[in-house]
Amino acid sequence: MLSLWLRRLSTDRIARLREKSREQSAPLVVAGKRNNVEVLTAVDDAAERLGLLPGLTLAQARAMHPDIEAAPEDIDADAVLIESIADWCLRYTPLVACNTPDGLLLDISGCAHLYGGEHELVADLGSRLEDAGFAYSLAIAGTIGAAWAVSHHGKPASYACGEERALLTPLPLSALRLPPATIAGLARVGLKCIGDIVDLPRAPLTARFGPEVLRQLDRALGHEHEPLTPRLPVAPYAAEQRFAEPIAREEDVLAITERLARRLQFALERRGDGARRIELSLFRTDGVVRRIAAGTSRPLRNPGEIRALFVERLTALADVLDPGFGFDMARLSVVVAEPAPPEQIGIAGGEDAAELCRLVDRFSARLGARRVCRLAAQDSHIPELAEAALPAQAVNVDAGWDAFRRYRKEIELSPRPLRLLSRPEPIEAVAEVPDGPPLRFRWRRALHEVIAAEGPERIEGVWWSEHGGPARDYFRVEDKSGLRFWLFRAGLYRDLPQGAAAPSWFLHGTFA
Amino acid sequence: MIAQLRQRLLALQRAPGLRKGPGTLPLGIPAIDTMLGDGLMRGALHEISAPGEAHLAAVTGFALGLAALSAPSPRLVLIAEDMALAESGALHGAGLDAFGLAPERLVMVAVAHRRDLLWAMEEALRCRTVNAVIGEIRCGGIDSVAARRLSYAAAESGALALLLRASPSNDASTAATRWIVGTARSVGTHGPGAPRISAQLIRNRRGPVGSWILEWSDSDGQFILATLAQPVAAPTLDRPHRQVA
Repeated sequence: MLSLWLRRLSTDRIARLREKSREQSAPLVVAGKRNNVEVLTAVDDAAERLGLLPGLTLAQARAMHPDIEAAPEDIDADAVLIESIADWCLRYTPLVACNTPDGLLLDISGCAHLYGGEHELVADLGSRLEDAGFAYSLAIAGTIGAAWAVSHHGKPASYACGEERALLTPLPLSALRLPPATIAGLARVGLKCIGDIVDLPRAPLTARFGPEVLRQLDRALGHEHEPLTPRLPVAPYAAEQRFAEPIAREEDVLAITERLARRLQFALERRGDGARRIELSLFRTDGVVRRIAAGTSRPLRNPGEIRALFVERLTALADVLDPGFGFDMARLSVVVAEPAPPEQIGIAGGEDAAELCRLVDRFSARLGARRVCRLAAQDSHIPELAEAALPAQAVNVDAGWDAFRRYRKEIELSPRPLRLLSRPEPIEAVAEVPDGPPLRFRWRRALHEVIAAEGPERIEGVWWSEHGGPARDYFRVEDKSGLRFWLFRAGLYRDLPQGAAAPSWFLHGTFA
Repeated sequence: MIAQLRQRLLALQRAPGLRKGPGTLPLGIPAIDTMLGDGLMRGALHEISAPGEAHLAAVTGFALGLAALSAPSPRLVLIAEDMALAESGALHGAGLDAFGLAPERLVMVAVAHRRDLLWAMEEALRCRTVNAVIGEIRCGGIDSVAARRLSYAAAESGALALLLRASPSNDASTAATRWIVGTARSVGTHGPGAPRISAQLIRNRRGPVGSWILEWSDSDGQFILATLAQPVAAPTLDRPHRQVA
């Protein structure tokens, strides 16, 4: 377990935005409001040398050193920064967790040898962080608790495997990730470092200071398991490639995608899986990570088809790809995998469906999955809810229309419009008799004289719900020029309370 | 020798969509079919415009009626711009059902830009399993290069390419036929009847043009010539029958 602590996250963030000449500039502090007082929340190395520490009020600090430079606190920007660093750390291991507000936890078991060992991995990580202008301290230990304790309080970059006890004993109690009140309470009875409580009888300690103290101690010592919650779900299949020379051209990215897909194909075939969602992560040399995802409508293994999907994705965001100085690593991961039957070749029916799936996938990759729809019948009698346009990649072939056709035959449903407005539009209508069809109506400023009408077809509202809306009387009407509309009156006259306004009319669709 | 070369040149110069290929699609109405030369050409682009935006439903109905003829249970791809879907409404599956089309065999694509629409139409036409591709343009035209690309793509696959427009346009295009389609009055005043449209063929690369009133017949599953309650003048041919070189 590797714990990374970015000691000066806030000040480094501000310093990175400025010119590189930090030596000459004034000590930097970050201040934020605590209890209505401006308090220092972070300081840089120069300020700390002057004796300024987080927790001091800004007024006091200014009085001590008038030449310091104070910047306002920005918690959101810090969070965004730590998340982008977490993304960047995915190059070392897929298991990265954010340890708010300024730390990261990396599970590097089984990954270190890819860099030639833990020392080499730490050296690589450290040099890259230093180049990016971050002050850090990191530690590797057998447990999360021990790694955290050492990285925050111990000698930075000291490694320990299985010797947590010796490592932790000299450290102060604040290394146990306990609330400040508990630490203060322990200090009052003379318990200052971890060594003081390791061998104490457990029952009185728990009785006095709560179960949290011993739980954290057990976790740090490895007696109790502490799960790591990775920031991103771990992909079941992934393949990656590092480049000696950064790549930037789109063709190179596509070629590497296909090569990685070919590697994944073997793994997928062996387990009988296919990819439903694939993600390509491109690690830029300056630390930015681009993640491009593409979905498929059926489990996919063929590298050529995966490449074709990313061709569309890259075309769709050609200007957003922005390779900068180039990508030095690429990873292709199958985020969602599904069992897929072994490929069959040459059966005509299957080929037909596959061809359409490929088309749908290409559309979805280029235009976005929600723009490519299939209609699905829904369980509702309200016309606008009776069917939904669902992403074509997600809908299975039948989508409830057989049931709809049976229902339609059974109740002899009256004709439905060919085009339905997504929400009914209010119209001004004049009816001859209150319950009858309108004589004329005005829709989008045009007056339509009704010459023929059919109806009403009464569609009840969702009366069992509070937000169901009134019952509707639908009419099919035809105007003088032959245009046919589907109108309805929202609300029935018989339900109207005394003195209420007349029900309003809406236009809902048009017929051929 | 010269004659041979001329023949070859002619073959090369042939307009897209008119070469010998996928054949025709009879509408089942002899009057129209003879004019079109055995029916609507498959593997070609056809433009259908509405006289005004309000008639877009009639245009959609006509296009779906043609698409329904293209195969026993056709696979359709409908591509429309976001704005068109918001203004005129999206296709309603239950209404589609009335035209004998299965909603589950339709893929609807909403696009934000005209170039995406043309790209999607071309891609859909290149897919072998799609029988008809319907693209809907709300306003403005498409350039002739794009129209020609669509015609070529349709000619290669043999699918029916239908371009719907909310208003007629005069820009040059390689479309095999051009129609103006609006709604027509129903017969009598007993309420609106079956879908009924007035279809005007304004351009036909195979010769004459004309106009008809068509009614969708549920029992036949196709358009039929409407019988009119009021007497109307017989449709006239405003161009002599002309063979295209």
